[in-house]
Amino acid sequence: MTGRRIAGRVAANGVVWGYAALILLPTLWVLSNAFKYKIDIITGTTISPITWGNFEQLLFSRQSHFLRNLFNSAVVAVISSAIVIVIATMAAFTLGRLKVPGWLRWLILGWALLFQMLPTLTFVGSWYVMWSAVGLHGTYVSVILTHVVHNLPMGLFLMLSFMSALPHELFQAARMDGCSNGQMFWRVAFPLVRGGMIAATALIFIFSWSDFAIALTLASPATMTAPVAIATFAQEYDIRYGEMAAGTLLSIVPALVLILVGQRFIVRGLLAGAVK
Amino acid sequence: MNASIAPGTTARRNRRWLVLSLAPVAAFFLVLSGFPVLNLLGLSVFNVEWSEGAASFSYVGLENYRRLFLQETIYWAGVRNTLVFAVGVVTCQMVLGFSMALAVNRAGTAGRTILTGIFLLPIVIPPIVIGTMWRLIMGREFGLANTVLRALGLNEVDWLGNPDIALASVMFVDIWHWTPFVFLLMLAGLESLDEEVLDAARMDVTGFWQEVRHIILPLMLPTIVITVLFRIILSFKVFDEVYLLTSGGPGTATEVINFSIYRTFFRQDQVGYGSAMSVVTLFAIAFMIIVARGLLARSKRAKDTE
Amino acid sequence: MEKTSCGFGAILVALAGALPANAKDQPDITMAINQSPWLNSFVAMVDRYETETGNVVNLDVTPFGGLLEKIRNSVRGAEGTYDLVNVNALWLSEIYSGGFLAPLGEIRAGYALQDGILTYGATTNWDPAVGSFSADGALMGVPVNGNVQVLYYNQTVYDDLGLSVPATWEELYSNARAIADATDMYGFVPRAARDSIVYNITPYIFGHDAAFFRVTGPGQAAIGLNTAEGLAALNAYLRMSGKDVAPPNPGAIAQGELIQLLSTGRAAQAIAVIAAWGALENPSESRVVGQMSAALIPAGPGGTHASSAGHWVAGIPRNVPADRQAAALAFLDWFQSQDVQVKYVEAGGVPVRGDLAATGLGANPAYRFLEAYSANAENAVMGLPFAAAAEASDAMALHFNRAVIGEESPETALNAAAEALAGVLERNGFAVIRQPDL
Repeated sequence: MTGRRIAGRVAANGVVWGYAALILLPTLWVLSNAFKYKIDIITGTTISPITWGNFEQLLFSRQSHFLRNLFNSAVVAVISSAIVIVIATMAAFTLGRLKVPGWLRWLILGWALLFQMLPTLTFVGSWYVMWSAVGLHGTYVSVILTHVVHNLPMGLFLMLSFMSALPHELFQAARMDGCSNGQMFWRVAFPLVRGGMIAATALIFIFSWSDFAIALTLASPATMTAPVAIATFAQEYDIRYGEMAAGTLLSIVPALVLILVGQRFIVRGLLAGAVK
Repeated sequence: MNASIAPGTTARRNRRWLVLSLAPVAAFFLVLSGFPVLNLLGLSVFNVEWSEGAASFSYVGLENYRRLFLQETIYWAGVRNTLVFAVGVVTCQMVLGFSMALAVNRAGTAGRTILTGIFLLPIVIPPIVIGTMWRLIMGREFGLANTVLRALGLNEVDWLGNPDIALASVMFVDIWHWTPFVFLLMLAGLESLDEEVLDAARMDVTGFWQEVRHIILPLMLPTIVITVLFRIILSFKVFDEVYLLTSGGPGTATEVINFSIYRTFFRQDQVGYGSAMSVVTLFAIAFMIIVARGLLARSKRAKDTE
Repeated sequence: MEKTSCGFGAILVALAGALPANAKDQPDITMAINQSPWLNSFVAMVDRYETETGNVVNLDVTPFGGLLEKIRNSVRGAEGTYDLVNVNALWLSEIYSGGFLAPLGEIRAGYALQDGILTYGATTNWDPAVGSFSADGALMGVPVNGNVQVLYYNQTVYDDLGLSVPATWEELYSNARAIADATDMYGFVPRAARDSIVYNITPYIFGHDAAFFRVTGPGQAAIGLNTAEGLAALNAYLRMSGKDVAPPNPGAIAQGELIQLLSTGRAAQAIAVIAAWGALENPSESRVVGQMSAALIPAGPGGTHASSAGHWVAGIPRNVPADRQAAALAFLDWFQSQDVQVKYVEAGGVPVRGDLAATGLGANPAYRFLEAYSANAENAVMGLPFAAAAEASDAMALHFNRAVIGEESPETALNAAAEALAGVLERNGFAVIRQPDL
């Protein structure tokens, strides 16, 4: 019995760390490409001469403004995901736990689903026309607000699921105590779904950070974001793997840091006891 | 909780909350997604041509749909591939993501931080880099995968060039890329489970797997359902992996719906026809979701009668 | 872009009272262009222009995959963002037929390209009545990068095996067999992936005196694909993709893999665009530096040479103010001179003139591609010279790709491709004369 338990644990650990290796090794390989010459990258050599040329090309060449692009990505992603999570959580609470006319719930959620199911690239043309018409093409505002609406369905549904997972009794008790809707949200629901909010925000942030199609169409050279800049290295017939890897190295650092810091808040026990 | 506040005030506050919480979402959808979606749906019954710098819209009724259903070959190959793709990757992502979340949930503090960091890596890498990097790794001549195989004395495999396994290779990359999405949501769901409820229920079960099956899964059902829903929708929208790895080839082995739409809408500038494709795809996804929901409801009913 | 130094210089010179050689006399213009290996050489020319004339050209550099959409958005709006748009050969028919560009003759009366400038199959002119490229049509743009296909071969391997440059497809094949049998290199690399196979089969088709279709009058087209010549062309293509000379699974080989195989010395011959030359001669990207050479693409039985055009043409949109249009034309005019083109090549670009082999560049081994390039450029063709080229290409590509993989026989593939092409032509207003099935 014990032997089987130990074998079970070893196997489980093996699977977990094996999977971790499967993720880590290719990632490290791609990041190491940032320091290699192209010929070494395409021939797949692991030990090869080190060069800083890729970073030089990425950061200091005439046509590149990569640090600026990273900054733009950060601005857009942070602001748009903040907006999404705030309005999505409030709406999710209302739609998930309050009495709302059926038609309204269907309309909002149904539209969100419809919008989510259609391909983004069929919309970018319309967005270009819309933002140009109000003269905001190329500004941060256009990219940020478009990212908000683009990620809103996912934010809405994710928070809806977390809200739905909360026990019914909590809200009944709060109602009997005379809480208004707003109070129920702030004092009951919000503290309990914080973990879910962090996870949802992380995902929305990542989606905004990695967006290519919207930024390509709506941003001007001054507001261009990092994924578009990295994409310039995938050229017509020649992929500049080295510069691309260098750009990736620089752009995953902030994203990863933000997420690791955030995941500390998803700790067990933080939320237990709130039930009382 | 002031019992002295008049009920009328609370009612007014409640109404205000309803408006305040729903208005921003409604406003965003209305202003920013109304025109694009309606434009798309409308374009599907038109043919748009540009000449002398201006567009001319000619109403063609259901012609685009007729062409799609009767004359199109590549798109339907894409539909078949996309269905296989969606079912395959979503299943694997859910199983893997949930397992990893369980593992991290039960790990010690050090292991948890390290593992979470590692497991989240794939989704913070820009999609274009994931595509180009796996293309290199899976390259027949110099790719790392084949180098390893050769070192082990095995035959090399043309991961992306062999029509029989190209789709599986693309699915592998997609699973690699998106499992962290599931992992993150499952982890948040697991961590938010009330410890006391778990402890109480643990009295009745006899082992780890029992605990998972009968306690954890049912408690996490809403989260699981939404995750599956979004993974299905996002899998139907897969584009980057296909575009960068195989561009739909060889033949139509890795053709997917979104890629067909991209070619038609973007490269060929046939916006009417491309819109019709999008609408048909919409119905296909909706159908799949309804079927999935039906299956879920049926299994739930079966479970309730156990 | 750095404008301050230029402006400051102009002020200084003006203050000095001398007639300013570099004073700005044109408004600033903005050009939409893609990131590419030859961008640096183009930037060098833009800098030169600024130094010589004081006029500024701002470059908005976009990923290749997004440039077409950006151009479309700009030219379709009421007011364009770009005064110059860099249009790839494959998009030319769409942009021309949409009427978005101002004919150069309208900006400056009677304007014509300078002598010696290549037109790559009359792709600088468009005749709206016929709906195709035509030397009789209005001049719509100036080429800025002459990317045509050439035959690459490894000179060192040729010398070792005593091979000579092939003049026909048969000779190309026998060279490939010799190389594959004697060494462990691949004799030839076809680029047969579905998204580019039509582009790559074009020199075979036209070299065998076939064509995808021919315009026989206004709104009239005759299919030329599923004919005996077309079949000979497809068979020649399939032979070059065979297991005995080519890498396995050629139906998945795209440009990236092709250049990879050439630059690592795994393959000895290939037909590819001349712009890959830089990658092959760069020590940090290639193991065959100094070994490669370029040649004229072989001819078919009738002695016809052909090369697929993948060049870039700069056009001036209608929806920008007239003074900026004039400024754009001034830059394009300056760009064409032989002097500038020589400097362009020296900076790493592909010239748009065919007469540079006779200049000092021709003797320089670093530019040993010039002669082959000029010869191929003279034979450049656009396979699908009408507005719905992309649609036609995608429709036919599936069948060619299937023929290479072996899912369809050559006759079936040609018939199916011809029928698909006819469908696209008809949908776009052509009266089509079909060929009987093979």
